[in-house]
This record gives sequence, C-alpha cells and structure tokens, in this order.
Amino acid sequence: MLTVLIYGAVTSAILAMLAVGFTLIFGVARILNLAHGAFYALGAYCAYSLTAIFKLPLIVAALVSVALVALFGVAMERVLVRPLRQSSLAVLMITLMVALTMEQALFVVFGSQSKNVPAFINHPVNLYGVSLDGQRLLALAIAVCLIGALWLFIQRTRLGSAILAISQDPEAAQYMGIPANRIFSLVMGLSAALAGAAGVIAGPFLSVRPTMDQTAMITAFSVVIVGGLGSIPGSILAALVIGYSQTFVAFYLNPEWTGTVSLVAILLTLVLRPSGLMGRAVGA
Amino acid sequence: MRRIVPLVTSVVFAGALALSLQARAASSKPILIGLDTPIQLQVGKDTVAAVKMAVDEINAKGGVLGRKLAYVAADEGTDPQLGVSAINKLTSDDHANVLIGGYDSGVTLAEEPHIAQSKTIWIGVGSASPNITALVGKDYDKYKYIFRVNPLNSALQAAQIVNFANHVVKGQLGRDKVAILGESAIWVRGLVPVLVKGLEANGIKVVYQQLFDETMNDFTPLFARVKDSGAQYLLTILSHANSDVFVKQLYEARLPMPYGGIDVKSMTPNFCSRVNGAAVGETTVNFITRAPITPKTIPFWDSFVKINGRAPVYTAPGAYNSVYLYAWAVKKAGTTDADKVIKELEKADYLGVSGKIKFNKVHDDIDGTGYQNLLFVQWQKDCTRAVVWPQSVATGKVVLPPWVSK
Amino acid sequence: MRTRDWLGAAVLVGLFVVLPPLLHNQYFTGVFIVCAIDAIWAASWNFFSGLTGRENFGQALFIGGGAYTAAFLNGSFGLNPWWSIPGGIAVAVVLGLVVGFPTLRLKGPYFALATLASAAIMQQVAINLWQYTGGSEGIYGLDSLIDSSLGYYYFVLAVMVATVVVLSLIAHSRWGTILRAIKGDETACQAAGINVTVYKIASLALSAAFAGLGGVLFAHYQQAVTPNDFDVFLSISVIIMAYVGGIGSIWGAACGGILLNLMLELLRGMGEYRLWVYYLILMVVLFFMRSGVVAPLWRRLSGDRSA
Repeated sequence: MLTVLIYGAVTSAILAMLAVGFTLIFGVARILNLAHGAFYALGAYCAYSLTAIFKLPLIVAALVSVALVALFGVAMERVLVRPLRQSSLAVLMITLMVALTMEQALFVVFGSQSKNVPAFINHPVNLYGVSLDGQRLLALAIAVCLIGALWLFIQRTRLGSAILAISQDPEAAQYMGIPANRIFSLVMGLSAALAGAAGVIAGPFLSVRPTMDQTAMITAFSVVIVGGLGSIPGSILAALVIGYSQTFVAFYLNPEWTGTVSLVAILLTLVLRPSGLMGRAVGA
Repeated sequence: MRRIVPLVTSVVFAGALALSLQARAASSKPILIGLDTPIQLQVGKDTVAAVKMAVDEINAKGGVLGRKLAYVAADEGTDPQLGVSAINKLTSDDHANVLIGGYDSGVTLAEEPHIAQSKTIWIGVGSASPNITALVGKDYDKYKYIFRVNPLNSALQAAQIVNFANHVVKGQLGRDKVAILGESAIWVRGLVPVLVKGLEANGIKVVYQQLFDETMNDFTPLFARVKDSGAQYLLTILSHANSDVFVKQLYEARLPMPYGGIDVKSMTPNFCSRVNGAAVGETTVNFITRAPITPKTIPFWDSFVKINGRAPVYTAPGAYNSVYLYAWAVKKAGTTDADKVIKELEKADYLGVSGKIKFNKVHDDIDGTGYQNLLFVQWQKDCTRAVVWPQSVATGKVVLPPWVSK
Repeated sequence: MRTRDWLGAAVLVGLFVVLPPLLHNQYFTGVFIVCAIDAIWAASWNFFSGLTGRENFGQALFIGGGAYTAAFLNGSFGLNPWWSIPGGIAVAVVLGLVVGFPTLRLKGPYFALATLASAAIMQQVAINLWQYTGGSEGIYGLDSLIDSSLGYYYFVLAVMVATVVVLSLIAHSRWGTILRAIKGDETACQAAGINVTVYKIASLALSAAFAGLGGVLFAHYQQAVTPNDFDVFLSISVIIMAYVGGIGSIWGAACGGILLNLMLELLRGMGEYRLWVYYLILMVVLFFMRSGVVAPLWRRLSGDRSA
C-alpha cells in the first residue's frame, strides 16, 4: 500500500513537470506548443552528450542542459512563432515541424538506440520501509521544488503578476505598459526549462530514444486536458489523478491497460466536462 | 550484284556486332540485390553493412557467373505503406534480382502480396512471425518466392526456450517456478501458449504471466507482481519494447531472481555498457556471438568489426548468409531466373556463419544440431558475454545476478 | 470558376492521366496511386476544417475506419471487395456523427485535442482487440479491386477528380458560404436563424465519408491494414498536405497531397536523412508561405484580382 502511495507520487510528479510547462505557455500566450515533447527529449540528450562526450560532471551537465533547452525555447518563440502569431493554426504547424525536425535530427545524430543519461543517485533508498530507486525520489523532490518555485514566482513577484495580467487580457496588459512579447519569450523559456529539466531528471530511469518526445507529448496532452488548458493547479491536480490511476491499474488491475488510462481520462473529460477540472468554460 | 554482297556483309556484320554487344552488356550487367530494411534503425544499418561486406567479398573473387553483385537499399521503416512502396521501388524501378531484408512482421506481411506479384525471390533476415512463411504453404504458386533465413520463427523459438528452461533453469539452477513477462505483440501472443505448454510438460510451473504494451516505460509494478507471485526465474519476451529501461528498472528493484529469455535489444554488443552494467546476469537469446559456432563465425565477426567499427546485431549474419546462399543457388542453377533458383534454394543445406541453413516445406529455416539454433548468452562480470546453452557450443556456465543469493 | 481555372485543372488532370503509362514503371504507378489517395484525404479534411476553421486533428479516425471496414468485409468475411466502398463510407459517416455530436460544441484547441484523442483511442482499440483486428500485425491478404496496377490508378484518379469536383461544388454553394460564415462568427449565424449544429455535423460527416472512401481505396491498394492507419502521424500528414495546398481550397489541398507524397518518395535518395530534409523543407515552406503554396501561387500566377 505504501509502495503504491509513494510510487504514485513519483509518477504524478513526472507527469506534472511535463504538463505544467505546456499549460503555462498556453495559458499565457495561447500557444499549443507541439514542440514541448521535443524540449523534454532535448534535455535528456543534452545531459547525455555533455556527460558521455564532453565528460562534464553531472551537476554541471544538468544545469547547462536545462539552460540550453530554455535558450532553444526562447529562440524558437522569437524566430519561428512570433511572426506567425496571428494564425493559431500556423503556430501549431510550425511547432509541430520543430518537433518532427528535432526528432529526425536526434535519429541522425545519435542513432536509434537508447542512450544512457547518468543518475544523480544510483542506488535504492529506503523510505518508510519501501525500497525505491533514489533517482525517482530525487525526481519527485525536484519536481515539487521547481513547480513550487514557479508558482511562487508567478504569484508573488512583479514579473509574475505581469505574466498573470498577460494571460488574462493581453491587450489591457499592453495598455498598462507590460511588454507582451518579452513576457511570451520569458514564459516560453520557463516552459522549455521545465520540460528540459524533466528530461534530465527522468532520463536515467525512463527511456531515452529519439521518439521519446511522442510519449511525452501524449502524456502532457492528457494531463492538460483533464486539468484544464491554462491552469497550473489544474495540471497538478490532473497529474495526481492520472498518475495514481495509472499506478493503481498497474499494481492492482492489469498492467496492459496503463496506456489506456490516460486516453480514457481524456475521453471522460471531454464528454463530461470539456473545460477540465479547473479550466475556463469552453463550450461554443 | 557487286553492290549487294558488300551490303549484305555489312548488315550481317552489324547484326553480329549488335548481338555481341547486347550479350556483353547482359553479361556485365550486375546482379542487383534489393534491400528492404529500416535504414534508420540499427537492424537496418547492419543489414546493409553485412550485405555490403558479402558483396565486396564475392566480387573480389570474381562475382557470380561472370557478373558482379550490386545492392541498393530502400527504407521500409516500421510502416507498411513505406514498406510496400520500398518493395515496388526495388522491383519495378531498380529491377532487383533478389530481395533481402525485413524486420517488422506487420510490414513484411503487408509487403508479401506485392513481392509475390513481382515474382522476385525474397529472403527474410529479421521478421519472426510464422504467418510470413505460412503463406507459402497456403498458396505455393503465388508465394513460392518467400524464404526466411533468419530468425527462427517464434514457434521454434518457444520450443528452444523450453529446452533452455528445462536444462538450465530447472537442471542447473534448480528452479521450477517461472514468471513470464512479454510485450503484447502478435508474435508474442502466439509464442506464449506454446511456451507455457512446453514448460508445464517439463514440470516447470508458470506462476505468473503478463503482457504489456511495447511503449511501456515503467515496469516497477510488474516486477512487484512477479516478486509476489513466488516465481524463481523470470522469462522475458521483448523485441520492440524498451529493454534498456526494463533492465535498468529490474536492477533498481533488485528483483530477487535470475532472468532471461528473448530480448532483442540485449543482443546488441554494447547493450550492457549502455545501461551501465545493469544487465549483468541477464541471459539473452542470440543468433550469433563471437564464438566458433561454425568455422565461418569468427572470421565474419572480426571482419565486420574491422570494417564497421562495431559488432553486428542479429540481422547481420542472416543478411550475410543470404547473399552467399543466393550466390551459391544462382551458380548451381546457372541462371538468375527465379523459378530455377528457387528449386536450388529448396534443396539447400548450406553452411552459414551461424549454422547450416536448410529450409522446410514452407521455406522457413529449420533448427536442430548443426543447423541454426538459439544461443543463450549471458552478460557476466564486467559486461563480458558467455554462451551458457546449448552445451555443445557453451563457453561458460550460467551465474546468478550479483544481487541474488542462492 | 474562371476559364483559366478550368484550363489549369484540365491540364493538371491530363498530366496525371498521361504520365504513368509513359513512365511504364509499376513503382511510379504505385506512388501516384498513393498520391491520389492522399489528395482525396487532404481535400476531405480541407472541406471541413478549412472552411469552418475547426482544425480536425483526428482525420485518421475516419481513414482507419474505412480501411478496417474493408479489411473486415473482404479479409475476414470474404465478401467481394467492391462492397468495401459503401461499407467503408457508411462506417466513416457513423464515426463522424458519433465524434461530431459531443465534440463540435468545443472551441478552438479543445476540438483539436478531442479529435486527436478519438483517433488515438481507436488505434488503441485496434491493437487491444487483437483477436478480431490482428493487433499490431493487422489484417493482410486483402484482394485488390482492380488487378491491373494502371487500371486501379485510373480508377483512383477518377475518384479523386470526382471528390474534388463534388466538394468544390458544395464549398462554392450556399452550404459552403454558411460554413465560412460559421468560421467568422458562429453566434451571429445562430442569431440569424441558421442551425449551426446541423451544418457542422453534416459537414464533418461528409468529410468523414470521403476520408473513409480514401481509406477503403488505400486498404485495397496496400492489401493490408494495420493500426498505423489510425495513427496521429497520418492525421498530421493530412493537415500538412492541406496546409501546403492552401487552407480553404479544395483543389489546392488535393495538389498538396500529391506534391507531398511525391516529394517524400523522391527524397528516398537521401537515405536516412530523408525525413529530416522533408521536415526542414516543410518548416521553411510553412514559415514563409503562411496561406499555403499551391492555391495562393496559382492565384498570383493567373492574375486573380479577387484574392
């Protein structure tokens, strides 16, 4: 029982890390960033390259990777997304192309075989009698810290208020002198950093292959739909719901169905309450 | 009269010249091998590399029937649509004389009617579904072009795993309760019942079995259930699944039992180092390893490593064998005409780099002493590998994973 | 449509009629068959999503629905393959209605996500119900509709032309105008007394019908169906084709379908770099030509002042 409790928390933490960034950029800039999974993949592959090829110590590699992914996100927003902002479909398509191109680039540069991202903690840790892999617990801790820090940043700082203002009413915010474009870049950078960090921290125990962006995207989608597009608390709540459901199904029911849990969750949400647990009303 | 003779002579001379040029062109036109393989994946890259090696070797010795061999590859990915168009390209555009390749059974099955239509011989080196060769039995005239050189079809693999379980798991390790974990692919679903029946017939009890989706990347709940079931050995059936993660998480969970079985990704020589040594203790089915299975094995292995800077994955020996086998059949038939070459292939009893190659009635490769068999290879200390079964080619004894006590 | 548009269309169709027998190459004939089917799919997508502005990210649901129907009718039940066509269309329409009712009231990205999820769920079902669907290996051994490759190509080409004509006519009729009005301001349309729901659902069903038809034609060309036919990648490819062709233009989408598949095949020479180059080209194209390539280009070249 305790295993399921702790294990579910770890699963939910990873889901939350992926979903929060995705929902954030949508809430603020109305961008459905289909390249979000690519940020996750890039984070993991950067960590791999910096440690395996450039032989940097893990902590340095981790921080540099997250920074690189953040920069990549900002660059993508500035160069590719901003000129196309009038058409949401165009933005959708261009982020999609970035994701597909990135996936292919990873295939070509790194090959199709899995890569090994080193872990910070390599051995099991005993928590209340439950033996769990140290890296997973670390992932849980880091996810909580990062999301918590993000939440505090948005709620308590001036910049955070600016972000909130933009997400509520971009025009009014701009009249107030808030530089929308710079906020968008900042938020994209934060979103990418979160996804990249997820890649670095979960890479050691989840799979690192060029196609890893796809599973990340589907995961992010399901959590964000259930939680409500644009709502960070919603994403966290949905991550817990889906994470624990998956764990429950895997441990007590049939592990074959863990993949369908997120799909069923999406279906139920869209049929019963399309705006998600905490999203804004979306009926036409 | 005086003008007719030179005229007729010139015409005859021109005609003879044209004919001889035509004949020379035909004889110097290379025999083209078409490769339908997923070129972005390692199995595809090694298929191409192995074929290249064989082609270069044969050409250096003068080619086949005075003609050089050549090859061209077409990406079939893991998408049937891409596969069908690859087959069409190789047969209708490149006019290949023979096709070698295959990896994903779904793609191969979709390709088969198109291969049959093109009346080109196809030699499989990677897809294991028995359904692929079953078509030869169902409609010989249409599908007689299909042959499989590698791997052994999944039913044969099941039988050999039963053998391994009986002699090594039960016999040497003294364990008679097993759990089975496998990916939910169709070929696995066909294999597991055969496996279970065989195990139970040998007094080995299957206390837990579970299939999972190939995209699964969190196996810890499964390992918990395996542990709770009272199993003493874990049999795995993995091909497309995330083996790296499986093995890493199994190591994390310190599953208290030895394990092994089919794990295609673990066949790769760099697998153990890729997962930081977590795979030590895993026994995996292999089709080749650097051991003298036949006199040709080690020369092939070393040559491949020298040319490509890496050791070959399982499609490589099959591809290499296929080229040589085809060349041999063409020489015996005296022509590249498919029907005649098929007749020769059906009679083949050819020594390859992983055993002798012989086909059964539905053109599927057979197993047995001297023929191609599964090698059970275990990752041991410092990521070295030892063949632990069959006894005749064993290079070491099976050991327990480092964290498992007797 | 102006005379030069008719002329352009005639030349294009004429080219496609004449090219395959000239090339005399089964491979290219096969490529052109898939091009024509892609054109049908892209045109069907553009009819609904291009006109209404509701991006359907699950067109593969209808494609796979048609394809699997063909597989069941012909492969599992052994019926004459020609039955697949009405069967596939019917199933696709039903899927369109089933998915349309709950999702069409959703705005913007929610509709996209809902349709994407529907196709993904159907794909999972196809894999999980392996006793009936063959799982990931799918169902193979379907008969071909017309044994001659060239003959089948002309049939598919004819269907493609018919699709474009029918959908274009509807798009230029009152139906199409209403759809465009819905795209502009749905509430205003409702206020004007238009039954917006009926129009939306009918259009989605029509889009589904043609997508399913394409799926049937595809199944009988490939002679196999697999869960790949429900894949999100297929849905996305269709959207890209329509996008390149020009959102809102039926014939443009068809051309987009043909162009993209052709490009994908011609890039085979790039070996393992094929998809990378393909996506890079698309990224550049999508970035610089936001309203698409084919339709806007034709309008500019032929001096269309109305655009």
